[in-house]
Amino acid sequence: MKTCENIREVLGAWLDGELSQTDADAVRSHVEGCTECSEEWRRLGKLDAAMRTMAVPEDSQIAFEPFWRGVQRRITEKRPWHVEIVEGLRAVFLGPRLAWSIPAIIVLLIGLYSLGVWKEETPRNNFAAVESIDAYGRNVALLRENETKTTVIWLYQNQEGDNESGENSDKSPTF
Amino acid sequence: MELSDRALVQKCQAGDMGAFEELVSRYHQKVFMVILGLLQNRDDAMEVAQETFFRAYRKIKSFQGGSSFYTWLYRIAVNIAIDAQRRQKRNPLDFRETMDQVLEEQHEVGKDPFSDVHEKELRGELLTAINDLTPEHKAVIVLRTLEGLSYKDIGEILGCSEGTVMSRLHYARKKLQEKLKAFL
Repeated sequence: MKTCENIREVLGAWLDGELSQTDADAVRSHVEGCTECSEEWRRLGKLDAAMRTMAVPEDSQIAFEPFWRGVQRRITEKRPWHVEIVEGLRAVFLGPRLAWSIPAIIVLLIGLYSLGVWKEETPRNNFAAVESIDAYGRNVALLRENETKTTVIWLYQNQEGDNESGENSDKSPTF
Repeated sequence: MELSDRALVQKCQAGDMGAFEELVSRYHQKVFMVILGLLQNRDDAMEVAQETFFRAYRKIKSFQGGSSFYTWLYRIAVNIAIDAQRRQKRNPLDFRETMDQVLEEQHEVGKDPFSDVHEKELRGELLTAINDLTPEHKAVIVLRTLEGLSYKDIGEILGCSEGTVMSRLHYARKKLQEKLKAFL
């Protein structure tokens, strides 16, 4: 026993005459006894009729001669090599039978990347630098050992009068 | 006596340009109509239709006759048209203006057979609704409704099964019905 939903899925095919005789008889029998499906059938027929008469603008007639001249021009003129290559690739990858190839290639690339095929050893980037923090003689040295480890070394310069012991009076920075 | 498509194709494969011209003469209008139905723009449709025959000429030696010539030709046409639609990505305003212009021109020259306001409005809405479909759904609607092709032929043209054609048509009609429910 087919439900209204089952019937409505094939109403279009029935309208197009694409159902087998058995299926067509089953649909006809249901539609004749079901008000809602009958109404759906009527709407579908109206849509189909509207499309047949209205879907293409009236001025769709074209003259043969200018059309043929356009085709001939394309045949005789040589296209640049890069256009030929692009057109060839488009035909290969965008044809309906190969439309699946693009998502497949993307998935493959993601898979290979996640497996680490292209994972390269991160180059070590060690450096040591001294940067001035302010204008009062306080400096800081940054010793970067790798991506995650940086040692900060503060450099103090004794100010005049701060040196009570007089031991470090040469003003050189101390650690 | 008029030669069959198959005979003309064989002549083309042997290098007879006149035979190719005859094939173009037979199918240029139908191919143009299908493409115009898909692109809804006369200039673009003309470009794509000419490109279709150019590519058919280039590939004709590889045509084995496994399907009919027109199915093979339509497959080239629909593929280029779908590709063009994806590339163009015309904004809806451009499309709206194009269609308004077409409708206006038809009105001016008195060609419009739909004098009733309701029907004129329906035509505008219908064209907009068809244009909002995806290229694949639009293709099945155009090939079925305008060309009256069988599901088998449509499947061969689009490279999919008859079941897929039926399913796409069902979905496309449902979408159109939703958008046009005020008129149906």
